[in-house]
Amino acid sequence: MTTTATGPQTGVTLYSFTNEYLTRQFELDTLLAEVAKRGLGPNIEIIGFQNFREFPDVSDKFAEEFRQMIAETGLNPVSCAINSDRFLKPGAQPIEDAALVEYHKRQLRSAKKLGFSLVRYQFALPVHLLPEIAPYAEELDIRMGVEVHAPMWAGHPAVQAYGEMYDKLDTPYLGWIPDFGGTASRIPESMLDAARAKGAKEDLLDKLKEVWLEDGMSHEKAGRLREWAAPKGHGPLEIQAACLAFFILSNHDPKSWAALVDRTIHIHGKFYGVSEDLVEEAIDYDTILPLFKDGGFTGTMVSEWEGHAYDMRDAFEQVRRHQAMARRIWGS
Amino acid sequence: MLPVERVIGEEGLAATAGGLKLAMRLPWYRSLPFSVVEVGPLAVDGEAVDLSDALIEYDGQQWPLSQNGEKVDTFWFIRDSAFLVLPSLRAEVGETREVSLNLFISPPYIPGMRRTNPQTSTLTVEAA
Repeated sequence: MTTTATGPQTGVTLYSFTNEYLTRQFELDTLLAEVAKRGLGPNIEIIGFQNFREFPDVSDKFAEEFRQMIAETGLNPVSCAINSDRFLKPGAQPIEDAALVEYHKRQLRSAKKLGFSLVRYQFALPVHLLPEIAPYAEELDIRMGVEVHAPMWAGHPAVQAYGEMYDKLDTPYLGWIPDFGGTASRIPESMLDAARAKGAKEDLLDKLKEVWLEDGMSHEKAGRLREWAAPKGHGPLEIQAACLAFFILSNHDPKSWAALVDRTIHIHGKFYGVSEDLVEEAIDYDTILPLFKDGGFTGTMVSEWEGHAYDMRDAFEQVRRHQAMARRIWGS
Repeated sequence: MLPVERVIGEEGLAATAGGLKLAMRLPWYRSLPFSVVEVGPLAVDGEAVDLSDALIEYDGQQWPLSQNGEKVDTFWFIRDSAFLVLPSLRAEVGETREVSLNLFISPPYIPGMRRTNPQTSTLTVEAA
């Protein structure tokens, strides 16, 4: 289901259906069939390490099976999310650069073999390794988009450092994948309700909202809240439920995405709850989406419902509403 | 309990010749290498279990739990249960046990995140 012939396209990441998938209600093939049947594609994203058992090294046999699933459903495998797993031993030094480069190459090969046209990668990849990886992506003919995910945003120093390297390498194979959680206007009420259901008290949530607005990396802010909360008797599970917000959302100007539109190759339409009248509860889509259409973006925004991190709402209905909201804003 | 938080697997607890075997699920949304998963503490019927001789069983392989931290290239597929083998524990099929397990995970691409995932369930011991 596309919005316009030449403008931004819609689609969905299977990550939205994490609850349905982890509880074994669907296999990969039946989940793809359900997405197709409900008209939530055809453009899809898949996290390699969520839906592909053989990841990061996919066999020819599985690749053929996957291509068959795609052919049968009529879906379009746009993006494969790969991971920049640099911290493989907690508390120890990150893995060697050469090992991390090879780890990316393995995933790039698998994504290509499966028929994806681009990969999502992560800032955990140090920027100085891009000159080693980018030529390999060019050779494979697969684009790479780094996910600008909370607490990152267009003005973050890490994004700027990547931008400078992108200028230097000057290749169409590298770009951005905005994740709108980086410019949330507020913490979703549904997330706060989930924390309350786990026993979080109002004073903890009030402090959460205060610290959430401060600067800093996610784990620094989580540390700040923990230091405040633990002596006051808040339990580790309540604190953890509150800290989730630091890792998936940050509060920056929704208009700031304008600076990244030119090199945006794909979008994560992150959301938490779209109402029946098609408004997302925490992210200002009415401000954000026109920036991309007006800026000439013609790639795909995949609907990425992340409420499964804290509750069990019907993901299919949420994705339907999110795509309807995008059509309302972009025009169908 | 949310699917991304559960740690006790659907296959539950089984009596085997090598001791009790507990099914575990990975409390995250994607597969992770075993090296970023800390297994335990475990309590059975309220008593802490010594895990020094425990083993992990997954996908036809078995290794001592103490070596888990070295398993950087063995991925726990998110849909699978892995099994904790407890050689010192015995129970008869049909008995019940209250099992409390925690798995800590440190996602390898998110600096500084370490999640706690405690779960308690009363399980009926199955035949292996």
